[in-house]
Amino acid sequence: MTVGAPHENAPEVGDSRGSLRAARKRRPKRVDLLPYALVSPLALFIILLALVPAGFTIVGSFYRVQALNPPNRFSGLDNFRRLWSDTAVRESIGNTAIYVVVGVGLSTLLGIAMAVTLQHRFRGRSVLIAILILPWALPGVVEGIVWSGIWDSNTGLLNSALTSLHMINHYQVFLGQHRLLTIFAIEMVQVWQITPLSALLVLAALQNIPSDLYEAGNLDGCSSWSAFRRITLPLVRPGVAIAMVQAVIATLNVFDQPYVLNGAAPTGASVTMQTYFISFQNLDFGEGYALSLLITLVTLVISFMVVKLVYRQVEF
Amino acid sequence: MKRKPWGRRIGIIFILAWSLVPLYWALNTSLQTDAQASSKPAHYLPPTPTLHNYRTLLQGVGDIPDAMRRSTVNIFIECGAATIVTVVLSTMAAYAFARMKFRGRGILFYAVLATMAFPAYTTLIPLYKILSNFGLVNTYTGIVLVYVSGFLPLATWILHSYMSSLPLAIEEAGRVDGASRIQVLTHIVLPLAVPGIISTAIITFLFAWAQFLFPLVLSSDLSTQPLTVAIAALQGRHLVPFSLLSAAGIYAVAVPAVIVVMLNRYIVNGLLSGSVK
Repeated sequence: MTVGAPHENAPEVGDSRGSLRAARKRRPKRVDLLPYALVSPLALFIILLALVPAGFTIVGSFYRVQALNPPNRFSGLDNFRRLWSDTAVRESIGNTAIYVVVGVGLSTLLGIAMAVTLQHRFRGRSVLIAILILPWALPGVVEGIVWSGIWDSNTGLLNSALTSLHMINHYQVFLGQHRLLTIFAIEMVQVWQITPLSALLVLAALQNIPSDLYEAGNLDGCSSWSAFRRITLPLVRPGVAIAMVQAVIATLNVFDQPYVLNGAAPTGASVTMQTYFISFQNLDFGEGYALSLLITLVTLVISFMVVKLVYRQVEF
Repeated sequence: MKRKPWGRRIGIIFILAWSLVPLYWALNTSLQTDAQASSKPAHYLPPTPTLHNYRTLLQGVGDIPDAMRRSTVNIFIECGAATIVTVVLSTMAAYAFARMKFRGRGILFYAVLATMAFPAYTTLIPLYKILSNFGLVNTYTGIVLVYVSGFLPLATWILHSYMSSLPLAIEEAGRVDGASRIQVLTHIVLPLAVPGIISTAIITFLFAWAQFLFPLVLSSDLSTQPLTVAIAALQGRHLVPFSLLSAAGIYAVAVPAVIVVMLNRYIVNGLLSGSVK
């Protein structure tokens, strides 16, 4: 059926479906402007302030762009080479890897535990959910300040509590001395922030599991632990996958918490912090572009891998 | 099956402690004098609760109260404007994506979603350079533009999921009764979509309130710095007692905390409609 063929305009008596279809086919000839009017502001924002800048990042990472040392010129892989020979950058890559492993691992485990706690209805459950999401809603910077009250080596809650319980004799320094301990302490703060969303995502997947599966398991003499392992875990995989992806993106780009809790100290500096220092303190934008491009690519690759490994389409 | 309530009880206590202990501790510290706050072992309750730190933070003249008050005004202007613009634009676009067929719809929709997948910091340096070319660094306009571009994809996605789930029949009935498509949008779809719009607005506002790295780069002084940046600057100074810093933390947390307590239902619905499909 060709669109707009003249004979189609002839009335088709007795076949209202045919004429309706013809009318529908004819409509696209007159360009409908309303949808374009509705989406064009969004499109402008996305193109001008997201896609074009992303293009700048890709192109710029192959250029020498130094604010204090013009002119800009093409430099091939020079930025990447200089990044690799920069000890601070290499250290920050190592630090970030630890942030990701600790953060994704802890937030996923805690998120599943919290979601299972909230799986069945009980009194006060909605209040508990409100309390659960509280840390998610707070600024990372402020969370850093709040948690420094816990980690502090002179006045911190943890030192005080451990001393009161006679578990340590004298106050300990948690931040800035031992690298693993520092990163763990900082990442706990981010885990505090991202776990609520993980828990919610897993909870949403849990609530799709039909309760007769548990009843059947119960009849077959399934203990609650094996019900969890054999029914719950396999069926929440989609929720866990999305939770892990959000954790990967958040932890690979951690900035606020280490910035507030540990400053520029190499014991905890993340890749995003290095990008900030390189671009806005050394004003070497080219190298900054290259490093942000690398973080973006790694974020996309790891997120994709997590989805491939963890996500399974679930049919009930 | 006997084990279950016990497991749940431990879980409930854990969630309560996990969320509230750090906040309680900051509140507790903020209500003590500096001498009390630095005692060993610490006071688990303020011995003589005082609002002294909050007064130092906010009242009178001086560097600290000036910075706090100014940055509070800034954060409300920036978050408010970003939220309004984001909600209006994403509502329009989400309706078109959910209900209309037009050339380029698929490509545009996936382009919007794809920008959600890459980390916001990818665009930090180029956005800084673009804004400085237009003289928009350290202006409300610049910050709001960047916020809106960052929050639009998620907002559009949440509203698209929400509007797609609305019953089509009511809109068709409206069309049959002779309403124009704009009238259908304003008189039928918008009232039905109010819960989704509220969710989107709250989530956008909370995201805007939490921003730090972007305003750190894009606003160079107190004329536009939001509260988060001003508090980090306060923390960077020496000789600011920790009890005062805790008061600043509690002050910055108050607004999002009240929003969560009052409106958590909308937040949960919005987050889940946006991410689980």
